[in-house]
Amino acid sequence: MKKSIFIVFIFSILLFFSCATEETCIQTKYVKLTLGFYHVNHNDTTLINTTTSLSIDSITVQGMIQDSLTRQYRLIDSILYNNQKKISTINLPLNNFSPQSIFKFKFNTILDTLTIYHSNLNDYLSLECGCIVTHSIDTISMTNHYIDSVKIKIHDVNTINAENIRLYK
Amino acid sequence: MQRIFVYISSLLLCLSVNTSIAQQKKQIINHPDSTRWLNGFTLHIDAASILTSTFMNSGIYSTEGGFQLDLKHKIFPTIELGVAGANKFSTDNINFKTNGLFERIGVDFNLRKNKPDSKPTNNLFLAGIRLGMSNFNYNVTNVTITDNFWGGSKTFDYPSQNSTKIWYEFVVGVQVEVITNFYMGWNIRNKNLISKDILGEVAPWYIPGFGQNNGSTWGFNYIVGYHFWPQKKAIKNKKISLSQEIKKQINKQ
Repeated sequence: MKKSIFIVFIFSILLFFSCATEETCIQTKYVKLTLGFYHVNHNDTTLINTTTSLSIDSITVQGMIQDSLTRQYRLIDSILYNNQKKISTINLPLNNFSPQSIFKFKFNTILDTLTIYHSNLNDYLSLECGCIVTHSIDTISMTNHYIDSVKIKIHDVNTINAENIRLYK
Repeated sequence: MQRIFVYISSLLLCLSVNTSIAQQKKQIINHPDSTRWLNGFTLHIDAASILTSTFMNSGIYSTEGGFQLDLKHKIFPTIELGVAGANKFSTDNINFKTNGLFERIGVDFNLRKNKPDSKPTNNLFLAGIRLGMSNFNYNVTNVTITDNFWGGSKTFDYPSQNSTKIWYEFVVGVQVEVITNFYMGWNIRNKNLISKDILGEVAPWYIPGFGQNNGSTWGFNYIVGYHFWPQKKAIKNKKISLSQEIKKQINKQ
């Protein structure tokens, strides 16, 4: 008799703990494009190019959006990086509702504009987390005042922390 | 609070059933026969799912019943059928709605071993397995995406989604004959999904018969059932007629 009560008690405790439900999102929803700065060193004697990470002395990054009424491009008030010092990697948000995202860079005192053309995909995670928008980079165009060239490393932009684009000086 | 009330009441019911075992032993007249293959069948309903659907405001409802065959009073092939659904809102006001049928097939084994000198009883300590399946439709509505940096917001739905899920369960429980042929009992289940969510699919929040779509979950059933034993009457009549014949022969002598 005592044994059966003990079994019932243990099962009831197990049941009590098993019924606790998780109703908050525990997944990361932060979708970001990761961009790294690099410097190409050319060795004249060996004729081999070596790539090293480049630390930018000062960088300011802002988004640019086309005004629906005037069709003019304007800067978004929120500044992504404001005169950040000694930085070699930055994270940028791509536009969830437009196939292009434009960023204005200020490297020390030199201005460059980076335009990323991408497709957007709605990705439903769960009832608790809702939906995120992931992106696939198609092409990139950039002015070459400070930056020499650009290379797409990984086209898919999602919650995974990986370097998508390399900018070479 | 309601949840705690339901658990406590279930626990008390379980305890009351267990304390009644000793009392019931004396009342049982028709003992099971472990030498015969077919010892009838039990039809039962799950009171726990009805209680939780009624008293817990969780947005989930479920009703199920089952058919359990008694083979040699050791093996119990079981079929369980039910209907379940959910109407759940997330904290962001996303709505998940489903309603579907489910079925489980499996077998239980009676682990209770009687001492050689004790009378056989209809009280069972069961352990078994199930294979469950549900094909169901569901809607996910009011999904909102906002872009905090670039600006803008969009709300959309995923209507008429369909999914088929298969899972297996490990079941452990007790079943007690409270009144003649009237059974009560409980079991707990560890449920594990076999069919996982496909990448890019709008995954259902709830699977009828399984529960929340978490890969692995626990379930509890409180069974109320009636045991049908069509052979029992015939056996009883046979015994009576045999005893009457013996009496007649004794009288003749």
